[in-house]
Amino acid sequence: MSPASPVAVIDLARRRVRRASLHRNLEAVAFGTREKLSIDVREKDDDFALVLDQITKPLACDNVGLQRLMAEFRNSGIADAAIERLSAKSPSARRQSARLLGAVRMTQAVTLLAPLLESKDRVVVDAAARALGRIGGAQSAQMLLMAIQRIGLRRTLIGELARAAPDLFLEVVLSEAQRPGLKPAAALAAGLRRRQTAVGPLVALLIHGTPRERAISCRALGWIGSSAAVPAVIAAVEDPKWKVRVAAAKALRALHSGTAILDLERLRADRNRRVRQASAAALRRLLRDVKVVELTWL
Amino acid sequence: MLATGERKASDQAAQKRPDGNWPAFHDMISRLAVLESAPVFFTMPESVLRALARRLRRIRVPSGELVLCQGETGDTIFFIEQGRCRVIVDKPPGAVTVAVLTEGDFVGEGACLLNRPQQASVYAQSECTLLALDRQSLFAVLGGRHHTFIEELRRLAEQRFLLFADTSVQATWGMLLQEAIVVGVYSPKGGSGGTCISLNLVGALAQRYPGEVLLLDLDFPYSHSALLAGLMPTSCLARTGSAPQDAFEEVLLSAVLYHASGPMILPGALRPEEADEVTPELITRAIAVLRKTFRYIVVDLGVTITDSTLALFDLTQQIVLVAAPELSAVKSAADAIEILTQLGTPHDRLTVVLNNRSLKPAVTRQAVERTLKREVDVEVAFDGSRPEQAAVDGVILSVADARSEMTRGCFRLAGLLDAKHGQIGVPARTLVAGHHPA
Repeated sequence: MSPASPVAVIDLARRRVRRASLHRNLEAVAFGTREKLSIDVREKDDDFALVLDQITKPLACDNVGLQRLMAEFRNSGIADAAIERLSAKSPSARRQSARLLGAVRMTQAVTLLAPLLESKDRVVVDAAARALGRIGGAQSAQMLLMAIQRIGLRRTLIGELARAAPDLFLEVVLSEAQRPGLKPAAALAAGLRRRQTAVGPLVALLIHGTPRERAISCRALGWIGSSAAVPAVIAAVEDPKWKVRVAAAKALRALHSGTAILDLERLRADRNRRVRQASAAALRRLLRDVKVVELTWL
Repeated sequence: MLATGERKASDQAAQKRPDGNWPAFHDMISRLAVLESAPVFFTMPESVLRALARRLRRIRVPSGELVLCQGETGDTIFFIEQGRCRVIVDKPPGAVTVAVLTEGDFVGEGACLLNRPQQASVYAQSECTLLALDRQSLFAVLGGRHHTFIEELRRLAEQRFLLFADTSVQATWGMLLQEAIVVGVYSPKGGSGGTCISLNLVGALAQRYPGEVLLLDLDFPYSHSALLAGLMPTSCLARTGSAPQDAFEEVLLSAVLYHASGPMILPGALRPEEADEVTPELITRAIAVLRKTFRYIVVDLGVTITDSTLALFDLTQQIVLVAAPELSAVKSAADAIEILTQLGTPHDRLTVVLNNRSLKPAVTRQAVERTLKREVDVEVAFDGSRPEQAAVDGVILSVADARSEMTRGCFRLAGLLDAKHGQIGVPARTLVAGHHPA
């Protein structure tokens, strides 16, 4: 059946109508205009988790609407069914359940979602990671860290770690002795969070870390954009490892630091081609910024 | 370098059983001790405190390290287990230290509970041990049946938000050229309205000198002035005793609560057992600091005469004796005047206030004056249920209700004090006879 066939078009329209109905129902429960869901939530309904996810995404965990939804889920048995289906054989069922539990931020489900991170199906792992990221808190972040240690650096896991980690969680991971692979993950997550509190631990990692950790912390410092990190990043321009020098050039570009122009000029004569390219790009950006500043002064 | 305070030996077990890394017994005890000394949290049932204590993360922060950054979002409350934290508000062109927090206090509640960006940056002033409680854990424990505690915490966060927002108040601290007048309010019999008069006197004085009048509540064992004013105390005089010498002033001033209408309140103790920690030496040290900071310090001395009360009698420029027109209260007041005279208190340093707690008092004013062998300086007429209602509403009558008899009486008393100690130079007669300036 081609996507343009009349049957497919009608199916699509039906699906959209159903989604709209779900959306209205869930919103009515969240706003308190309706006490119970007046729809039949089918077990293999992928739309339900999707719509619920859309509705609850902007809500904080203490939001009244979210609490109403959670109460209704508990009372109607949907939450219990979702927890039960976390151990289902079908990957799509597990994915839906994880999505649903994440959407209602069910903190009690954290320990039940953690085993899904060990799944062989990537979609299940990603859904569980997203659910943990949505629930948040130290326990979720710890689960994600353990998954990263097992699986390695993966985009979804890092992103969700950044989302889930509470204040000073990543900073502590960066500052303490860790198993291999955890510090780069924490550095990337700290960079994504863009918190000033992470600057100190990242600078320490840039000075004392392995080449990989140094390169990643350079990039993270660039993302955070703190001027306090500029001296340490400038020092990293002299690093013996070319990957660290490339990261330093990119970080200086992101930091918009006019004081780094001379150091970047020196890097243009570096023996490594990628370093030369990165420094040239950074210089172009910095010189453009300097010109803009000069013009505004005039 | 930041670090956790947990033992690494448990890591391997935690890897296998993620929810099984429960704190050890002694660790749990120390966590509970921190929660039990924190404002609002000490009122929670033990089962709730235990559930919260299990979810705490211990973090060691070196001196000078940034804990929270102004303007960033936040989702964690940090309890100070050890050390001191400096709370700084960046207000270009400079930065103002708005508080120095010590053991038993917490930071980060504004961003965590009100979903606002951090109002101030927090730095570790010394090496600190913090216990972190993230939002998810807090709501997991308190979200259901104990939602009232969350509301109380929100109220506290809002109160602190207003306090820190008015950084100009703290910026003016210590800028007064003359030392404060210390006024002790003593009621020899409980239920005479000593605390009510202290609070309303502070309210009346604060109308003239906003942000320059302090009420020091030493009415032990239960100090309720902050509660009557609708404020939630976070620290107290008793807790400043353990602060190091160099940080004492900052820690003491950080414990002061600021009421939006101008008066400030420093609770003596938050819990009855803390009252013993308020020694005469601590009071003398505190008064020495506060005298440089405020224009008027009104001390609610309570009922019992202790070493602390005696120490304060020596430090006060004026003693206000509150008596109710009841036989036992008048007899107690006469005894108190005799004791004060024996202690060498000059006649003119004593002001007698007659507080009518009923519409038709059993003892007349003339009879009171005969028994006390001196004139009543200020008489507060019966005010109906207004004082009680104001306490329930958490407002100060002298600030909120100009027609109240309590307001009139306290303004007369404030005028008398002002005239006597030459703060504004208004003749005493005008203020005693007339109505308050409002």
